[in-house]
Amino acid sequence: MDITVGTLLLIPFVSAATILLFLRRNGKIASYVSVAAAGAILLLSLQIIFSETASSVPESGDTIADSGVTWLEIADFKVVADFRIDDPEARNESKALLFVVSFVGFLIHVFSLGYMADDAGKARYFGGLSIFMFSMLGITLADNLVLIFVFWELVGFSSYMLIAHYFHTKEASDASKKAFIVNRVGDFGFLIGIVLTYWIFGTVNLSELSQLMASDPARATTGIALALACGFIGKSAQFPLQVWLPDAMAGPTPVSALIHAATMVAAGIYLLARIDFLFTSEALSFIALLGAAMGLYAGFCALVQRDIKKILAYSTLSQLGYMAAAFGLGLEGVALFHLATHAFFKGLMFLGSGSVIHSCHHEQDIFKMGGLRRRMPITANTFLIGVLAISGVNFLSGYFSKDAILLGAYNLNLPVFVVLYLGAILTAFYMFRLYWIAFCGEPRSKHVAEAHESPSVMTGPLVILAVLSAFGGFEALWPETLFAAFHDDLHVVHGMPGHMWMVVLGTFAWVAGALGSRRLYGQVGNEDPLIEKAPALFQLCYSKLFFDEIYNFYVTSIQQRVARILEVLELLFISGLMVRGSAGVAGLFSLIGKSLYLGRIHGYAFWFLVGTVAFLAYAAGWFGHF
Amino acid sequence: MDTIGVQDFLIVSVLLFSVGFLGVVLRRNLLLVLMSLELMLNAVNVALVAFSRHSANMDGSLFVFFIMTVAAAEVSVGLALLVALYKKRQSVFSEHLTMLKN
Amino acid sequence: MRQAGLGIFEMNLGFEELLLLASIVVPTAVSLCLFTGVVTSDEAAKKLAYVGFGVPFVAGVLLFLWFEGAVGADYKYEVLFDRTGLQELGITFHLGLNGVSSPLFAMAGFVGLAAGLAAIHSGAERIRLYLALLSLMQAGLMGFFASVDLFFYFLFHEFALVPTFIMIGLWGGRDRRSVALEVTIYLTLGALVVLGGLVALNVMGDAEKFDFPTLINLLSTIPLGESAQFKIFGLLLLGFGILVALFPFHTWAPRAYSAAPTSVSMLHAGVLKKFGLYGLVQVAVPLLPSGAAQWSDFLIWLALGNVLFVGFVTMAQNNLKSMVGYGSVMHMGYCFLGVATCSALGAGSVVMLMAAHGLSVALMFLVGTFVFRRCGTFEMDEMGGLATKTPVLACIFVAAALATIGLPGFGNFWGEFGIFMSLGEDPGTRFALGLAALGIIISAIFGLRAVAKVFFGEQTEQFAEFEKENPVKDLSLLELLPAGLLVAALLLLGLWPRTISDRVNGEIGIRYQAFESVEPGGLPACCALDADEPEVKEAVDTNGTSAEATDESSKPKEGDHD
Repeated sequence: MDITVGTLLLIPFVSAATILLFLRRNGKIASYVSVAAAGAILLLSLQIIFSETASSVPESGDTIADSGVTWLEIADFKVVADFRIDDPEARNESKALLFVVSFVGFLIHVFSLGYMADDAGKARYFGGLSIFMFSMLGITLADNLVLIFVFWELVGFSSYMLIAHYFHTKEASDASKKAFIVNRVGDFGFLIGIVLTYWIFGTVNLSELSQLMASDPARATTGIALALACGFIGKSAQFPLQVWLPDAMAGPTPVSALIHAATMVAAGIYLLARIDFLFTSEALSFIALLGAAMGLYAGFCALVQRDIKKILAYSTLSQLGYMAAAFGLGLEGVALFHLATHAFFKGLMFLGSGSVIHSCHHEQDIFKMGGLRRRMPITANTFLIGVLAISGVNFLSGYFSKDAILLGAYNLNLPVFVVLYLGAILTAFYMFRLYWIAFCGEPRSKHVAEAHESPSVMTGPLVILAVLSAFGGFEALWPETLFAAFHDDLHVVHGMPGHMWMVVLGTFAWVAGALGSRRLYGQVGNEDPLIEKAPALFQLCYSKLFFDEIYNFYVTSIQQRVARILEVLELLFISGLMVRGSAGVAGLFSLIGKSLYLGRIHGYAFWFLVGTVAFLAYAAGWFGHF
Repeated sequence: MDTIGVQDFLIVSVLLFSVGFLGVVLRRNLLLVLMSLELMLNAVNVALVAFSRHSANMDGSLFVFFIMTVAAAEVSVGLALLVALYKKRQSVFSEHLTMLKN
Repeated sequence: MRQAGLGIFEMNLGFEELLLLASIVVPTAVSLCLFTGVVTSDEAAKKLAYVGFGVPFVAGVLLFLWFEGAVGADYKYEVLFDRTGLQELGITFHLGLNGVSSPLFAMAGFVGLAAGLAAIHSGAERIRLYLALLSLMQAGLMGFFASVDLFFYFLFHEFALVPTFIMIGLWGGRDRRSVALEVTIYLTLGALVVLGGLVALNVMGDAEKFDFPTLINLLSTIPLGESAQFKIFGLLLLGFGILVALFPFHTWAPRAYSAAPTSVSMLHAGVLKKFGLYGLVQVAVPLLPSGAAQWSDFLIWLALGNVLFVGFVTMAQNNLKSMVGYGSVMHMGYCFLGVATCSALGAGSVVMLMAAHGLSVALMFLVGTFVFRRCGTFEMDEMGGLATKTPVLACIFVAAALATIGLPGFGNFWGEFGIFMSLGEDPGTRFALGLAALGIIISAIFGLRAVAKVFFGEQTEQFAEFEKENPVKDLSLLELLPAGLLVAALLLLGLWPRTISDRVNGEIGIRYQAFESVEPGGLPACCALDADEPEVKEAVDTNGTSAEATDESSKPKEGDHD
């Protein structure tokens, strides 16, 4: 294991440990420690990415197992802690994600300095951020499935801890629990997939697996692929496990930006990209359909939300669906590209919303906002760039990645394309809706009227991310090592026919969405105009197809009832039958014995004579000889 | 005329024994139970004497003496107990003497 | 190494061997002092108790660290005392540690120290008697992990078990009398069945000594017949199952733990319950491979009952202590699944999980008591909002809950993961993998629900009422010490699992070789040859049989001891 890689992982770990043990009371120093750690991670990552020798892939002939530290060894089963930066085909997915994680992570750390300045639990927050960075870097760099699983769970733990930051509220307490448990359901499938992979392929190391599959592609099975994809479904909040992400907005906004927009939820897509050689075409088409469906569904849900963070959360769900669809079409490079651009513009918009929430005294309802364009110019303008990017306005970063996905879908899978295209129109529609309502018009509540621009420690990252969102789509501006992950599949897509047509459609989509939402939401009061104009549609979207209700029903009525029934059964039958039952058997014997105590002389005499007769009969041999 | 053989004495003995047996089991009055007991013992005596005569062996007759002695002793003890019990319970019927029940 | 002064000890007693002996003798001595009233004041009693629990802890840690891994199937630090008076039955006082027992020995020391510290500062009445019984229990616990002779193994278990009943009866919570009675009868029944199995092993195995190395040497060359193995293993499984709370013999466990005082719950759930699993892994499965294979399917179903049925029941619990009790029964299901796979991987993972689970369940009972002291109740619906007042306690509680759930970073994860791995090997057991893995969701549900109910959210009215009389303070140093100790140990196991796996590997690899070349669903190679019904041999003939075996050493002879 490379020294630099080891240090990279050690830095956030040490930072978290230091904060936990020594700096619990001292929030300010804790924040500086954490931000410094994030900065160091960024520098180290850049060094790793851009140096030529940062590979820990051994010479051919050595076993992979020799290159890492053996973490656990029982009988023949070994878990080796091996990390690697690039893979044999030099696709550099890990470098790309490493860049995104460390860069966006650093910016969000800096932003948090401003956002959490007045928070009492600052130390806990920054400790959690450090643990998150540690776990996320682990996922990025790990080379075997067991190691990925370990860090996968740790990322889930960091998410739990950070969502529960405002733990005195019921909302945060429930949301953190929900997030962890729903993630666990995904991990359940993931775990089974890992175990089966080990026994069927003989290894869990990704490099070895890709070599095995390269030599014999027919060995992939849909079952294992889908089992491993359960981890993705849980972590990236796809059907049916998407319910935790909107609730996770109960955490502080920078957490939502970092974990639930830019990085952790992207880990699922990253996992898929890493194990893509294990996927059969059935598994791929399943994922494509799943992703496309989520892309559209989440758009409808976002359409009727009032909370600015919830809108962004559903938008994240939708974009993750796009990434999944891209992967399912066989274009994982395009999926990763969209992951990167999404990290930029979604991170930007979340931080922007954080800036808004912070200066409006934690007001999150967009129908109480308005006119922020004039009061918070930097925030509003950067936010606008984010909205333009996600809507696919030409030549911004989101345009390039989304256009590639749509073009690929148009050529490879027409139904998926139709769904995704409708989703694109919807995306522009609801994102512009957010902009018109929150930033334009007149302020609709007192706090908002008094809002002022956030300090530069918060607007700085906004500007940087805005630049990236605007120009991050141009291939020429990317360093080659980083772009290598996206390069091949993007060129495949650009070679496909229908490109002009796609440009036209794409432009139409965002223009229609922008103008349409301007029409509807240009002048709003405190209520959503859609409620009067199209009540049925509103209700349908608001219900989110009753996923939350169904799960709640399951948990309270079915699961708890079953648990109670089993408890009663247990007390009745097992306890009662076996424990008291055995006592009962003893009691039965005693009852029989008791019945012989007649208390009457004749009874005794009778039994005495019966006994004598029996004895004589035995002596006479009537009961057989012994 | 045939000689009276052992079987005839045994039949008498069995009859006497069964009368006594039924008396012990069925009678309610404890005095009569004691008498029936005596009857059973004497039935056994008859059988023993008959066997003794038949096989010209003195052992049987000697045993009869033992039985008679023991029977006498036992009857006196039993009657004494019964009298004491009567003084307590004013009854010699078995259905009134159930203190040991349960 | 120096020659011991006492001539009756025939071995050289080095420092390590003395340490091993001391880990049993010192707590017993402490217990005797406290019983017989040599010590009169409570303060002196507490100081003595520090020694009584500290020595096993030190011994456990040192001997564990000095035990090199992968030395093969040898026992180290052996103490042998021949003239016990029972030599005709082959019973000797033989102590020693091997790869499987040394991690558990260390764990017993850890949990013992934590439980002892908790007891010393618990403020119980009649503290001298309490500490005396607890020390006796500790001596028994160290003893049965250190025993090589099977009779003393059982004896030390009883040593540890009997004080449990007394302590539940005297210092327990609500309805302690009836629970003490029920637990006494049930567990003694279990121990009786175990004794029956061990005696059967002795008689059938007919070795000259009743200790484990002799038996394994004998039975690997001349294994017992299939039906004999079936019956003996069945007996041992039933007995151990009752003692370790295998479904459906588990109902004593939650009731016992709810009623027992904290230190007793810690020691019992943490260490004493591992007696059965240790017996299965170390003794029963290697000695009776055919029996184990025959019972394996049945055991898998029962173990799944533990994980799923009891898991669901745990989710229905509102009382913190009974939730932890049911939860520990649920995790025993994982251990049984590992045993049922009859594989080296499974057995090694079971040892890992045993060690980690002992620490984590002890920690959960400990923090449960800390919560009780601050909220006045174990009912989780009547707590809430504790984290704002006691952040350190919250941190430790969350750590305990996450360890129980099996989060990587704590030792439980590696054990559970290894067990899941071992279930996946044989296609016949893969359905069990799917069902057992549901356990990770179930434990997450009840674990996090407990955290949320106790620490997050708003304070309930009942808690507010209670708080008026009893102001809530965070963990004191005396409370933090045992808790921190356990957390540190769990983190160590989680971050560096090779601590245990290195030491377990050598032993497990050799013992479980018989299972290596098994086709799925088949019997181990050593017993595959036995196709005929065994003949009834004359009882006198045993010497002749062993002589025959040594003559024909080239191929394993199926000498059946029916």
